[in-house]
Amino acid sequence: MPQTMFDDEEGTLGMLRESVASFAEQNPGAKALRARRAAETDLDADLWRGMAEAGWLGLLLPEELGGSGLGLAEQAVLSETLGRSLLTEPLAQLVVFSSVLLKRVAESNARTALANGIADGSRIVSPVWQGSDAELSDVSAEPRPDGGYALSGSYHFVSAPHSATDFLAIARSPDGLILVSIDAAADGISVTARPTVDGSRLGHVTLKDVVVSASQVLAKGSAVQAALDEAIEVTRFALAAELAGIASRALEIAVAYTRDRVQFGKPIASFQAVQHRLVDMWGDAEFACAAVVNAADAARDETARATSLAILAAKARAGDAAVSVTRRAVHLHGAMGFTDECDIGLYLKRAINLNATLGQPEVLRLQFVALERAAA
Amino acid sequence: MAEPQQDWNTLPDEDFRRIFRDWVDANCPAELRFMRKQRPLFDEVAEWYHALANKGWLAPTWPQAYGGMGLNPAKHMIYVEEWARLGCPRIPDHGIGLTGPLLLQYGTDEQRAYYLPRILSGEHVWCQGYSEPNSGSDLASLKTSAVRDGDEFVVNGQKIWTTLAHCANWILLLVRTRKVEGKRQEGISVLLVDLRTPGVRIRPIPNLREEADFCEVFFDDVPVPAGNLVGEVDQGWTLAKSVLGHERIFLGAPTRPEYALARLETLAEATGKFEDKAFLSRYARHRLDVYDLGSAFERFAKVLRAGGDLEADVSVLKIFNTELYQRITEEMLEIAGEAARFEDDLDAGDTKVDAMNLFLDSRAPAIFGGSNEIQRNILAKAVLRLPG
Ligand SMILES: Cc1cc2nc3c(=O)[nH]c(=O)nc-3n(C[C@H](O)[C@H](O)[C@H](O)COP(=O)(O)OP(=O)(O)OC[C@H]3O[C@@H](n4cnc5c(N)ncnc54)[C@H](O)[C@@H]3O)c2cc1C
Repeated sequence: MPQTMFDDEEGTLGMLRESVASFAEQNPGAKALRARRAAETDLDADLWRGMAEAGWLGLLLPEELGGSGLGLAEQAVLSETLGRSLLTEPLAQLVVFSSVLLKRVAESNARTALANGIADGSRIVSPVWQGSDAELSDVSAEPRPDGGYALSGSYHFVSAPHSATDFLAIARSPDGLILVSIDAAADGISVTARPTVDGSRLGHVTLKDVVVSASQVLAKGSAVQAALDEAIEVTRFALAAELAGIASRALEIAVAYTRDRVQFGKPIASFQAVQHRLVDMWGDAEFACAAVVNAADAARDETARATSLAILAAKARAGDAAVSVTRRAVHLHGAMGFTDECDIGLYLKRAINLNATLGQPEVLRLQFVALERAAA
Repeated sequence: MAEPQQDWNTLPDEDFRRIFRDWVDANCPAELRFMRKQRPLFDEVAEWYHALANKGWLAPTWPQAYGGMGLNPAKHMIYVEEWARLGCPRIPDHGIGLTGPLLLQYGTDEQRAYYLPRILSGEHVWCQGYSEPNSGSDLASLKTSAVRDGDEFVVNGQKIWTTLAHCANWILLLVRTRKVEGKRQEGISVLLVDLRTPGVRIRPIPNLREEADFCEVFFDDVPVPAGNLVGEVDQGWTLAKSVLGHERIFLGAPTRPEYALARLETLAEATGKFEDKAFLSRYARHRLDVYDLGSAFERFAKVLRAGGDLEADVSVLKIFNTELYQRITEEMLEIAGEAARFEDDLDAGDTKVDAMNLFLDSRAPAIFGGSNEIQRNILAKAVLRLPG
């Protein structure tokens, strides 16, 4: 059955895969998702603590920042297995994104505190940077005499908006873009949230003259754009892996269901129309996994440009695969697939959310072509 | 006489790639590069065939003791990649790719000693006689019969779609040697048959591209020496099925779709189509399909490079590849607009694009080598283990 295939001579990736799978056995993802949905919260604090204890939240952070300094292959296996298990805490959106931002900025006390807090789970750091059009927001930062800023404006598509202890915010100042850390309890912040299709909440965070001190300013100018670009890229990569995991698992669920379900005196999986559909779903999941591995290989062996292309391709492929495989899997469950009780619908909803996060396939494909043709 | 060979497999990949490419680039005649025809006749490429034979590079996977290069799958992939990159023509290769490996695995010493050198010299040109008018996808239902009569088999029946039979002089024939109730795979045998034997008649069939590329072959009381049987009598099905090993990966190599995409780009540049947002969106899909096919190909290539064996799942590449090739050539006709009415090549700036030629060509690979529906049937059983 489809799975990313990396070189794994020491067996560490296999161990990681197993540890996520056994975590998922203790904490079934669908059950946690339903509980979180019923509680109308944006994050499951117990699960989050468990993931921190397992060491997954510091995976990409360097050791001197409290992490384990691992690479994209490890992140892929972690995210893929979370996707398979329907463990839907916003690890990619919060942790992967923030880890890359923090890795890219200069040393400071604020950076160290945030990074350590992410890795040990004591802080929930949510990156805020998108406007209502999902592009860079126009939140403005007025310089203050002490070297700090006062921020005003709105951020959209904010993960864990209520649970966040800190926001990592990008704003526009007269000095160019700035990256600052904001205490989520600071004066002048108001948060509203809307439910997401997969039972979580996304926030709209409004700042009114929110004051940050000079020590909370992590980076300024062109470095911010570069860090943001890389954070988007690596997060897309993690999402691609998660989506590939969703596609693979949804296919397995559909195979199992159609083998069991008997109509006309036979398992429905014995009908050729069903079989060919399953084979195509399997192929799509295989291609998604191969695209993720290709992106990790490119990041290790090739140029930054080649890596960018590979990640765009992987997110597009895995997003398309996850949405279309889960859609077909729902159909193959008949009316059962249309119930809230059946997990396959949760996979579909999860796939829709992640596929729409940081670029739908069409947008990513056009970016790929623009990047490739620009250099040619 | 062929040049002596070194142990290629111990060379670093990049060294082997360079040595192979440099020689091929210097020796494959320019007028044969990127031929319009998928399947040139033997005479059209004889010069290139003999050049390879003299160099000792005609049979990449045969053991060196039998005049091959002895390449392992990893080196063989490089051979095939460079061949495609340089646009070398396909040579009539049933002898090298089919009869040779079959004899190496299942033939007798006498058969190997007789047939293999004659394949290398070009004296024997082989074709593949499997399909029949009423046995295509359901090949095991084949009826062409071979009845033992003393030292001979007497063959009667008909083969069809036999690629290049009209320029071949030998045919690898699947025949029925025993009628079996139920298990139709039993009772099939493999015979080596000289097409110049009296009673054999060959009739070319013009294909969709109006080329004579495949044929009907009729057998009317054709005597075949009993020594031309390969392996055990009645056990030919297993032989014929097992001969393709790692070569199955090449049915999925992105070469054809990549080539078609490059032609599409040329056509689109010349006609300003890249300014058209709707086209750009469709183009981006094709481009990423080609790119991702490369990633998927690499997933299986890694298995071979690590010394592993391919499993049934590799045919996912064949399905994706052949359907993608079709989508890209369909796109060419779409953007050709009214000019898609022409049979000949389209103007594209200072060059031409053979859109119709490629469109027609792309119909075949989804059918041959096991149609895509048959591939899906196999995957459903072998990989997804779905009930019958
Ligand atoms: C260019 C070309 C070259 C060839 N060269 C050779 C050669 O050199 N030697 C040789 O022996 N043969 C050759 N073939 C023949 C090839 O192997 C057959 O065409 C192929 O096996 C399909 O058989 P068929 O044409 O009889 O189609 P059929 O088996 O009649 O199939 C017709 C259609 O029905 C579908 N179909 C059939 N069975 C099923 C099923 N169980 N489930 C779902 N769909 C099904 C097929 O996918 C196809 O779309 C060649 C074919 C082509 C096109």
